[in-house]
Amino acid sequence: MSTWRRRDTGGVAYDDVEGTLRERTIVALSDRTLRGNLETAATSWGEGREAMRHDHGLDEMRERARDIRRQNIRELPALLSEMQAKVREAGGTVVRAADGAEACRYITGLARARGVRVVAKSKSMATEEIKLNEALEHAGIEVVETDLGEWILQLGGEHPSHIIAPAVHLNRAQVAQLFREEAGTDDVPDDREGLVAHARVRLREKFAQAGIGVSGVNLGVASTGTVCIVENEGNARLVTSQPRIHVAVMGMERVVADWDQAAHILQVLPMAAIGQDAANYVSLITGPRREGEADGPEEFHLVIVDGGRGALRGTEFEEALSCIRCGACLYSCPMWKSVGGQAYGSPYSGPIGAVITPLLEGPSSPASRDLPFMSSLCGACGEACPVGIPLQDLLVKARARASSPATRKSGVAFRAWSRLWRHPATYRAWMAGWRMMLRARGKDGWATHLPGPGAGWTQVRDMPSRWPPRR
Amino acid sequence: MSSPLVEELLASLVRRKASGQVVDEGEAARSTARWMADAGVTRAILADDPLVQRIALADALRREGVEAITWPTGQGTREALGLEGPPDVCGVTVPSLAVAERGTVVLEASAGHGRGIDVTSRHHVALLPADRIVGTLGEALARTFAGDRPVPSAVSLVSGPSRSSDIEKISTLGAHGALSEHVVVIT
Repeated sequence: MSTWRRRDTGGVAYDDVEGTLRERTIVALSDRTLRGNLETAATSWGEGREAMRHDHGLDEMRERARDIRRQNIRELPALLSEMQAKVREAGGTVVRAADGAEACRYITGLARARGVRVVAKSKSMATEEIKLNEALEHAGIEVVETDLGEWILQLGGEHPSHIIAPAVHLNRAQVAQLFREEAGTDDVPDDREGLVAHARVRLREKFAQAGIGVSGVNLGVASTGTVCIVENEGNARLVTSQPRIHVAVMGMERVVADWDQAAHILQVLPMAAIGQDAANYVSLITGPRREGEADGPEEFHLVIVDGGRGALRGTEFEEALSCIRCGACLYSCPMWKSVGGQAYGSPYSGPIGAVITPLLEGPSSPASRDLPFMSSLCGACGEACPVGIPLQDLLVKARARASSPATRKSGVAFRAWSRLWRHPATYRAWMAGWRMMLRARGKDGWATHLPGPGAGWTQVRDMPSRWPPRR
Repeated sequence: MSSPLVEELLASLVRRKASGQVVDEGEAARSTARWMADAGVTRAILADDPLVQRIALADALRREGVEAITWPTGQGTREALGLEGPPDVCGVTVPSLAVAERGTVVLEASAGHGRGIDVTSRHHVALLPADRIVGTLGEALARTFAGDRPVPSAVSLVSGPSRSSDIEKISTLGAHGALSEHVVVIT
C-alpha cells in the first residue's frame, strides 16, 4: 500500500451524488430516454472511428502515440521544469498546485485581487476535478460554463456525463426547457439551429462581462511553453482572447516534449474523440498578449495540478497517466453505454474514470472504491484507447487494491479457504465433510438448499448430492 | 492549372463544411468582395497585413457597399463581440500557413492580426497565398514554432466553421465562432 497517498483535501468524485453506485446504476438503467441518447451517441462515434481507422490508419498512429506518452511520463519532472521556464520567459505566471484545494485557492485569490465578478470557462475536466466552480461561487464570483454542453448541464444543475460530449444524455426538448428557464421567457426556438443561436447570444453577453477566462489544457508543449486547447465550438478561442486574464488549468501529466510530438497527439486526439481528422479550433497559447497587440489577455496564468498524479509515477498504474482524455474508452464500454457517465459520480467516468478516480482519491474512499467493479473486463476499452493504455489490466489491478468492508471481509474468507485447500490432509477432510453434508441434505440425489455461502448458489440451481447424479 | 496541394486543400475545406476558391492576385479583391456581398456581409474587419493592402481589398469592399474596418478596430467590448452594431460582420484574416490534408488555416496573432478577428465575426474569409499551403499539420507546426523565429503569443488552427454536437450529437454550425468560412487561395 506504500504507493498510495491519501489526499487530505477534497476528493475527485462529486460529493453531492445520491445513493450508492449500485442504486445509481439501477436508476440509470431504467431511464429509457437516457439509453436511447447514449445509443445514438455511441453509434455515431463508432462510425466515425471506423472511418478514421480506414482513411487515416489510426491503428498505426496509436503505436507512436503510445510511445510518445510513455516517454513523456518517464521524463515528466524535466518536461514540467522546461515548460515552467518557457511560460515564464513568455511573460506568463506558473503555479504548481499540490492538490485541487491549492489550485482553487490561487484562482479564487487572483479573481478577488483583480476585482473580477464573472469568470467565463471553456470545458475542462481538470477544473471539474478540482471543483473550481464551487470554490469560485463560494467566493461570490459568478462562473459561466461556455461550452454549449457544459452550459446546458450547468443550467440543469447536473454534472457532466462524458469527457468530450457532456450533455449527450439530454434531448432537444429537454434542452429547450432549460433555456426557457434561464432566459425567463418562452421565446426560445425548438429547433437545433435556433437553440444553438440562442445560446450563442446569451453566452456572448457573459463574455462581455467576464474578467477572467478559465480554460483547461489538452497538451502542454515544453519546448516553447505553449498550451494547446482543442475544441469545436470556438468558446475556448473566446475564453483565451476576450477576458483580461487567462487562467489555464493543466493536469501535470499533460505535457509533451516538442512540436513533433504535439503534432502527432493533436491529430490522434480528434480522431479518437469524435471520429474526425481535425478539431475545428486548436488554440496554441504562449504567454499573455505581446506589446502592440490589441486583443488577448494581459495576464496569463498556468496552474499545474498534481492532485495525486505524481504519486502514480513508478507504480503499476503509471500508464494511466498517458491518458489524453479523448473519451474513446467510454464510448466503447458496454457498461458506460448502458448507464452513461453520471452514475459513476465522478467527473471521470467510463473505464478510465473507474481506474483513475480511486487512484487519485485513495483506495478506501467510499465515493469511488467500487468504481473499478463497473466493468465486465471485456477489453473493448483497451482496444479503443488511442495511447494504448491496458485499461482492462488496470481495472483488475485497481480491484485488487480496492478496500472496503465488503472487500476486506471476502479477502479474509478467501485467504482462509486458500490455506485450507493448500494441504492434502485438510483438503481431503474438507471434501469428506462436504460429501457428508450433501448426502444429508440431498433428496433423490439433488441438494436444493445449501447453507452458508452455498445458499445464494442454490437459489437458482441444484447440486447433485452424489456422483454421477441420478436422472 | 492549380497544384495538387491547392486541390487537396479545396477538397478538405469542403469536407470540413467550409468553402474555397482559387483566384489570381489581380482578381482577389474583387471576387472576395463579391463573395461577402453575396453572403449578406455589411461590415468587414480586415487584418492589417501587407497582402490586404496590396490587393486593395478595402476599396473593392466599399464598391460592393461593405464597410471596411482595419485592425485594430478600437471598438468597445460589446461591439467587438457582435452584441452591438451590424450582425453580419466578416473577419478577414491572412493565414501564415494552411494544411492541405486537414483543411486547416494557421492564424498567428500579431499587432496587425488580432486573435479574435475570425472567431468573433459571423463570417470568416481567409486570404491565403497559394505558396503557404503545406501538406501536413506536422510541417505547419514545425515551421510555426521553428527555433529561429519568435514564438507567437497565440496561434489558432482553424478547420472549418464553428460547430457543436452537444444537442443530440448532431453537428450544428455556428456555436460560438463563425458560421461560415471561405478561403480565397491567391495565386
